[in-house]
Amino acid sequence: MTTDLNQFPELDKTKFEQRGIQLEIGVPVTCAVSIGNNIAAGFGDGTVRIFSSGEKHKTLKAHKGVILCMSKDGDNILTGGDDGYFLKISLNGEINEITNFGSRWVDHVTAYNGNLVCSSGKVVYYWDKNKKEPKSLNHDSTIGGLAFDAKGRRLAVSRYGGVTIWKKDYSNKWKSTKLDWKGSHNKVSFSPDGKYLVTSMQENVLRCWRLKDKLDFAMSGYGSKVKSFAFISDTSYLATSGAIDAICWPFDGEGPMGRKPICLPYIGNKQVTYIEPFPDEKAIFAGLSDGSVFLSQIENENNTIIIRSFTGSEVSAIAMTDDKSSIFIGDMNGNTLWTSIWDQ
Amino acid sequence: MEESNRQVPVTVLTGFLGAGKTTLLNRILTEQHGKKYAVIVNEFGEQGIDNDLVVDADEEVFEMNNGCICCTVRGDLIRILSGLMKRADKLDAIIVETTGLADPAPVAQTFFVDQDVANKTKLDAIVTVADAVHLSSQIEDHHEAEEQIAFGDVILLNKIDLVKDENIELVTKRIRKINPFAKIIKTTKCGAPLKEILNLDAFSLKRILEVEPDFLESDHDHEHDDDVTSLSFVSDTPLDMEKFQNWFGKLLQTKGQDIMRTKGILDFKDENDRYVFQGVHMLMDASPMGKWPENKERSSRLVFIGRNLDTMNLKEGFEACKSE
Repeated sequence: MTTDLNQFPELDKTKFEQRGIQLEIGVPVTCAVSIGNNIAAGFGDGTVRIFSSGEKHKTLKAHKGVILCMSKDGDNILTGGDDGYFLKISLNGEINEITNFGSRWVDHVTAYNGNLVCSSGKVVYYWDKNKKEPKSLNHDSTIGGLAFDAKGRRLAVSRYGGVTIWKKDYSNKWKSTKLDWKGSHNKVSFSPDGKYLVTSMQENVLRCWRLKDKLDFAMSGYGSKVKSFAFISDTSYLATSGAIDAICWPFDGEGPMGRKPICLPYIGNKQVTYIEPFPDEKAIFAGLSDGSVFLSQIENENNTIIIRSFTGSEVSAIAMTDDKSSIFIGDMNGNTLWTSIWDQ
Repeated sequence: MEESNRQVPVTVLTGFLGAGKTTLLNRILTEQHGKKYAVIVNEFGEQGIDNDLVVDADEEVFEMNNGCICCTVRGDLIRILSGLMKRADKLDAIIVETTGLADPAPVAQTFFVDQDVANKTKLDAIVTVADAVHLSSQIEDHHEAEEQIAFGDVILLNKIDLVKDENIELVTKRIRKINPFAKIIKTTKCGAPLKEILNLDAFSLKRILEVEPDFLESDHDHEHDDDVTSLSFVSDTPLDMEKFQNWFGKLLQTKGQDIMRTKGILDFKDENDRYVFQGVHMLMDASPMGKWPENKERSSRLVFIGRNLDTMNLKEGFEACKSE
C-alpha cells in the first residue's frame, strides 16, 4: 500500500467543503442575505456576489467602497456603502440608485413590503412604497441599528441612550416612543412574537425590554462585544455571539428573567462571532473567530456537526437559502463556502 | 499580541483652532507619496484636505457603563474604524483630526476600551499643534487648550517666525510645566520632519523604555488651582508590589478624572523584570517588559500629568510603597 501525502489536506476538509465551492476572494465579506434560493453577499471592495445552485456565481460591481449593510426587499437586495450610496439590486444584476449621501456613509438598511429604510448618521430615511421622496426621522445621536417588527408596523431605531420606536398613527403621522438605557446601542431586533425588543451594546451586554410594560433587563456575562444575535424557532430562544460558547437565552413562557441560558460549547475555545438561525428549527449555525462554522441543535449539545473547518479569519456572514437546501459562509479574509447542506 | 503586525497606526492631530492642523495634515498627505491614508475629520473642521479617503465624523463622545465616570469614548470613531477595517485596500495609516475644542482623552480611551478597534488598529501618537503666538492666552482662557498640551506626545510649537525669541522661551517653559515628556518641535508652517510625527509608537510600553521621559524636578508655583501640571517621582529603593497596586489602583479609581496621563517604569522587590505602564485617566496598560539591563541601575520612575495633583498626597503615597 502506498500513501499519497497530497491527500492529507483533503482529509481535513469537511464533507460540506468537499462538495461545495470554496473561494478565496481576499476581500472581507461584510454581509449576506437569502433571496429565494439564492444568496447575495456583500464585500469590502463594493462588489456583490450572487450564488445560485447549479450555476457559476455572478459578480456585480455595486459600490465604490465597502458595502456596510444589506437587506432584502422582495426579490431585490438593498445595499448601503461607505461611498454614500443606497442601492437596489435585482438578482439578474440590475443596479438602481435610491439615493446618494456623498461623503456620508449609509450605515444601515432594512425594508418591509416595499417600504425602504436606511440610516446615515443621525437620520433615518423612510421611503413609503409609492413615494419618491423619503420621510426623514431625526435622532440626537448616530444610529446603531434598524429593525421592523414581524408585521412591519413598528420600526425600532437603536442609538446612544436607548431605542426610538416609530409608528404611524391612524392619520398616517409618524409618532415615536422611547426606551431609555444609558450607553451605546448597536444591533436591534424585535422578537418574532413582538413581545420583546433586544439590543446589543458597546459594553459586552445585551439589553432587553418587555414591550407590554417596558420592563427592562440585561443579559450579561460575555467575554466580548455581542456582534451577532438572532431569535430562534419563532421566539423560543435568543442565540448570541460574544462568548466561547453560543449563548442561547430561553424566551418561551415568562421569558429569560431568572433563567439560565443554554451554552453550546465548541472545540478550540474561540469566540463565537456570528449566529444564523436554521429556519423553523431549534438549531443554529455558529461562526467562530477562527473561521470555523458549526451547526448545533440547541436542546441537544451533543448534536453538533462541523460545516466548515478553520480558516484563521473571523466569520462575518452566514446565510441559508429559503428552501433550506444550501448555505453560504464568508469571513473577514474573503474565504467563502457555498454548499448544499443535505447528503445526496 | 499575535495580530500586532497587522494593526494600522492611528495618529491623532489635535490643537486649537487656527494653530495649523490642516497645514500639517496636508503636508503629511502630499509628502508621503504612494502611501494610503484615511483621514477622519470633523464636519465642522477646516476645509481643503487633499486626500482620496476623507471620512466625516461627528465627535460623538459617550460614557462607558463600566462604573468609571471619566471613561468616555468616541462612538463615531469605533464605527468608522471598524468600517475602514473592512476595506479591500490596506491602509498605511489613519489620521484623526479633532476639532479645536476637543478633549483628546475620549479619542485615546477608545483604543483602550473597544476590543475590535484595539485588535486592528493602534494609537500611534497624539500630535498637538500649538500656536506660538496665542498659546499662552489660550491656555489661560480654555481648559481644552491645556488638555491638548497635556495629552500630546509630540507638540508642534508652530508660527515661531511670528514670535520673539524670549517669548518662545516663555511659551516653551509653559508647555514643559504642563507636559514634561512630550517632544517639542519648533516650526514655521508646521515644517517638522514627518518621521518625528508619524510611526512613533508612543503608546507602546516598549517605547516608554526606549525614550525615557525627561524626569524634571517638578515645581509647585502655579497660579490657579486647576492648572494642569506634572509631577514625577524617582526611587532607588525597590517597591513593594502589593502596596503599590493598592495605592495606585485606589488613586486612579478616586482621582482618575483629574489624572490625565501617567507613565512609569517600576522596580519591584524580588522581581527580576521591569514593569512598565502607561495610562489615560483611569484606563491603564501595564506589563512586565523583560529583565533589567545589567549595566543599568534599577530604579522606579513615575510621572503624572493632571489637575490638582498637589492635593493627592502623591509623594507620601509613593514613598509608602517602598519596601521596608
